[in-house]
Amino acid sequence: MKLDRNQQDMLDGKHGEARRFALEKLVDFGNAVGAEEMVPLSFVLNVCPIEMKDRSHPDLATYDMGHSPLYDKFIEIKDARVADESKTICLNDPYLVQIDKYEEEGYPWNFSWGDGGYKLPKDMYDGYVRGHDALKKHGWIMSQSCNSHLTTRTPRYGEYCASSESSVAAYLNTFVGARSNRESTVNTVYAGYTGYLPKYGMLLDENRRAKVIVELTDEVKEKMTDPADWAALGAVIAEKGNNRIPAVVNMPPLLSPTAGKCLSGCVSAGMNDPMMHIIGSALPESRTLEAAFGGTVPKDVERQIVTLDDVREYYRKLDSAKSDKVDIVVFGCPHLTYHEVRQIARLVEGRKVSPNVHMWVQTDTPSYHMARDNGEAKMIEDAGGKIYHSTCMGMNPVRNWSHDLNIATNSFKYVKLGGGFGQGWHFGAVPDLIDAAVTGRFVSTRWE
Amino acid sequence: MEQVKVMKGIARSKGQASGEALVSEMRFGWGYNVVTNDGGIIGAYEHPLNGQCVKGRIMVYPTVSGTTLGSVGLFYKCMVSKVGPTGIVCRNVHDIDIAGAIAGEIPAVDSLDGDPIQEIRTGDWVEIRADEVGKEATVTITRKASS
Repeated sequence: MKLDRNQQDMLDGKHGEARRFALEKLVDFGNAVGAEEMVPLSFVLNVCPIEMKDRSHPDLATYDMGHSPLYDKFIEIKDARVADESKTICLNDPYLVQIDKYEEEGYPWNFSWGDGGYKLPKDMYDGYVRGHDALKKHGWIMSQSCNSHLTTRTPRYGEYCASSESSVAAYLNTFVGARSNRESTVNTVYAGYTGYLPKYGMLLDENRRAKVIVELTDEVKEKMTDPADWAALGAVIAEKGNNRIPAVVNMPPLLSPTAGKCLSGCVSAGMNDPMMHIIGSALPESRTLEAAFGGTVPKDVERQIVTLDDVREYYRKLDSAKSDKVDIVVFGCPHLTYHEVRQIARLVEGRKVSPNVHMWVQTDTPSYHMARDNGEAKMIEDAGGKIYHSTCMGMNPVRNWSHDLNIATNSFKYVKLGGGFGQGWHFGAVPDLIDAAVTGRFVSTRWE
Repeated sequence: MEQVKVMKGIARSKGQASGEALVSEMRFGWGYNVVTNDGGIIGAYEHPLNGQCVKGRIMVYPTVSGTTLGSVGLFYKCMVSKVGPTGIVCRNVHDIDIAGAIAGEIPAVDSLDGDPIQEIRTGDWVEIRADEVGKEATVTITRKASS
């Protein structure tokens, strides 16, 4: 692999041991994928570790997502710092708990159900706080959100990024035209400390081409309103695309950040290549079908149609619970935008969440504080719900919670990634989920 | 009599490994808690291999599915909780799994001269020899006569 002078200096140890070590790992990986050069990154998004010297701690096997040992090396090195902060912004995904509310009850890290309950063990909490502080010292920005690209610095068209959060990668590729793989959480550690990544996968023009056309009917174009609609539509597009990059035709011209985020949320669960070409968008590589296919649309290209029935059917498909009972209603995978928080607050204002239900509203840190200032957080809490930031229910070991629980959500990603752990899942639109939180029963009325 | 077949492919992560095959026709990912750290048992969304143990096996699957955390998941199973597979064979080893296999120090092979999902059955004994990344690797499949 060709290295420029700065990269070679880094590999030779002139920028310190942390960067030398990290770049060496990236060179190994680059060789494995046949990359010819390293490119500078404007944006890196990874996950905070649990810092614990004794890795034989029995809880670690359950709580550690696996990446923490990769950080050990950097925490040991006293002068370890992420790449030049003026060029590369290094951010984090949500993790285990909102740090200042660890002891408070009724949140996914500390709550009860029927005859059982769950609390994040203290040792894990302490290890997480240590990891958090270490990364902060290294220069990582502890944004801890799947919306970090919307709330810190949105990369620009054509910039290279490394996001291990799939929905962010899909958003950047699809709506911004910045370039990111669904980067492995191994590489994003090394990318953070070097500011570089081998140029491979979605960073290369030839891997960004559409392979299939997915066309929405006019009815679909007109009727997508609820965040769950966009999540279900994303799931349908991913399924119709069958693991190929789709050129999506007849998408509504104005997509809000919420719609874009919910659409992008389908990627981790449904697509390996985190990109859709929204034909007609302002991005040069997606403006026309010809551009999306890299020049000429092949004559024999496969064309799939998405009907409203397909979207309706996905609502049913994602609803796997065996009864209409609801124990948890969770919003915010990926993290809610402020608009979504406001929608939830308005719908739940003046109502009371059932004492048998936990209603969890999870968002990014800036939106959380905006909701505090503007009253939405109080509206949600007065109704008996919980709003929190910098964490996500799914970071806790849902697998170990009671399998009798039924969880209701508007996230395709949650159902798909958590649906194998034993609980029942309901999938519905926001008004139906609010009703479910209040009554303890889920009834889908979205398509009645 | 045993049947032995040797297939050739490309090494995506280097190493030598052997083990009983566990074959998935469905895509598979090593995401957070999909495989238990105490026993190596699979629990994925509507996956046909749920309940099966990956420990010491050669995992054969088309390509990755699900979260990017699969990379560290694979690393963690192999290097920390010690319930990981000894190697992986895919039609296409996705970049997420390449990173996980390199960090987990197990071989990963793809681009075989035949479809591994068709050629390898669960229970076959599989040996991988993958000496250098990007170069030819061999996958030797031994099937007992009774299977």
